[in-house]
Amino acid sequence: MSHLVTEHLSYVYGEGTPFKVTALDNVNINIEKSELVAIIGHTGSGKSTLVQHMNGLLKPTGGKIFLDGEDIHLSKAKTYETRFKVGLCFQYPEYQLFESTVYKDIAFGPTNMGLSKGEIDERVRNAAKYVGISDEMLQKSPFDLSGGEKRRVAIAGVISMGPEILILDEPTSGLDPRGREQILSLIKNYRDETGKTVIIVSHSMDDVARLADKVIVMNDAKVESCGTVDEVYENSSRLTEIGLSVPQVTEIFVRLKKLGYPVNENVYTAQQGYSELMRLFKGRGIL
Amino acid sequence: MIKDITIGQYFPFDSFVHRLDPRTKLLFTVVYIVAAFVSNNFVSLLFCFIIACVVVAISKIPLKTVIKGLRPILLIVIITSLLQIAYIKTGVPLISFWKINITSGGLLSALFMALRISLLIIMSTMLTYTTSPTSLTNGLERIFAPFKKIGIDFHTITMIMTIALRFIPTLIEETDKIMSAQKSRGANFENGNIVKRAKALVPIFIPLLFNSIRRAYELANAMTCRCYNGGKGKTTMNPLKMSGRDYFAVILTLAVIGGIIVLNIFCGEYNAEFTFNAAV
Repeated sequence: MSHLVTEHLSYVYGEGTPFKVTALDNVNINIEKSELVAIIGHTGSGKSTLVQHMNGLLKPTGGKIFLDGEDIHLSKAKTYETRFKVGLCFQYPEYQLFESTVYKDIAFGPTNMGLSKGEIDERVRNAAKYVGISDEMLQKSPFDLSGGEKRRVAIAGVISMGPEILILDEPTSGLDPRGREQILSLIKNYRDETGKTVIIVSHSMDDVARLADKVIVMNDAKVESCGTVDEVYENSSRLTEIGLSVPQVTEIFVRLKKLGYPVNENVYTAQQGYSELMRLFKGRGIL
Repeated sequence: MIKDITIGQYFPFDSFVHRLDPRTKLLFTVVYIVAAFVSNNFVSLLFCFIIACVVVAISKIPLKTVIKGLRPILLIVIITSLLQIAYIKTGVPLISFWKINITSGGLLSALFMALRISLLIIMSTMLTYTTSPTSLTNGLERIFAPFKKIGIDFHTITMIMTIALRFIPTLIEETDKIMSAQKSRGANFENGNIVKRAKALVPIFIPLLFNSIRRAYELANAMTCRCYNGGKGKTTMNPLKMSGRDYFAVILTLAVIGGIIVLNIFCGEYNAEFTFNAAV
């Protein structure tokens, strides 16, 4: 069933000023329940603007957004309700922490929802569990944590609202490889355990290829292509053209094929690459 | 909404006004502000208004933007006008009910004050619209350079100003981002009483303050790494030079002073009754 749908969505920044920019131009997308969707595109392609429409932060200058078949801008109350149903975690979310303890910061969203104390406590502890934050850390000041920990706290602050759809804008930017790994696996675990829809905005193809069920490629305020990882990466030369790169592993196999080796190009992870190479070696009787 | 704040913003176009030396523009702005203040009749003020129109027209800044720059002072204009209407009792009584008497004199002086304040703001925003922060502070530094002899180092002051101006857009953008992020977590800045609304600002100000301090440290480090040690022996990449158009502008500035003096003498202080009768 269609979960989140945009219809002819358009958005223009600074209409009537010399800085007018079309950030979204007739965007039509359809996101199903429990899907893990990746939105990719280079800087300025409109991906961040797109996700800010999904929870009603920005009001489209043209077109509509439907959540479970209902227009999210039907009324003010409906838009406010959407904030909790579609949890949006901004880029560099660690810069928005403000409370005196990690616990209170994670509780900010549920408190705004007007939940009971017991319910809030349960949600905070649950969210902390998903992002791997210990009970002891909950009592610390968020400003005393490391960068990666702060980021996880901020993500927990969104998860604690219990959204139907979790959107993360560039969740791995500025993190070291270990921090990236942690964030990506927690996202995957969260989706697998709760069965909720997750949308990741990214420009790292390596991250996306591993996780996503569906990839939406944005270019120049428009949807360039949309489909499974295989479908989107099929046209790797076009992706390079619009400033995106295919995963490094894929690059190797594309070149191997060009050199005349009978390999499959649709390899996106190191694991897949390993099995593909093993197949090739076995086929030639090397191993 | 918060992005509507245009004070201190620079619009990089190429026009006669943009190409002027910042010192010329500073001189003109100061003279213009004095002129608007000493104007004591509608003819002089009309003269100021025409000058403002000409400057806006040749600067290529869209009229809409100029008017938008007035928005932050709208409240001040309205309050001033109301006070004028309430306290000035000269001229013909027009409406009177309960304890309020509105006279023609009050209305005219309200109009006069509103126009004067708007012109002041328009011309001062025109200065920042057409002059980049760097060249503006360069101009200030040059103008105040002689003060070094008496021990006041204007370089430090102008450097602080440059940095402050430079960070206005950055902070506005950041405030916007933090507001969006907290709104995404259900923060509500629009409803509730004044205490509730003030409380709702805490989730914005704490991260903003924290980030500003972090940014200040980073900037200080970056400046130190590039051997910044104050104004001592510092030279400029593009030294300011007065050109023909600047001398032309200076002559125009003098003409503004002359024009206002002449108009003030010949038209005299405006007489509310007279103007009102003439209008009727």
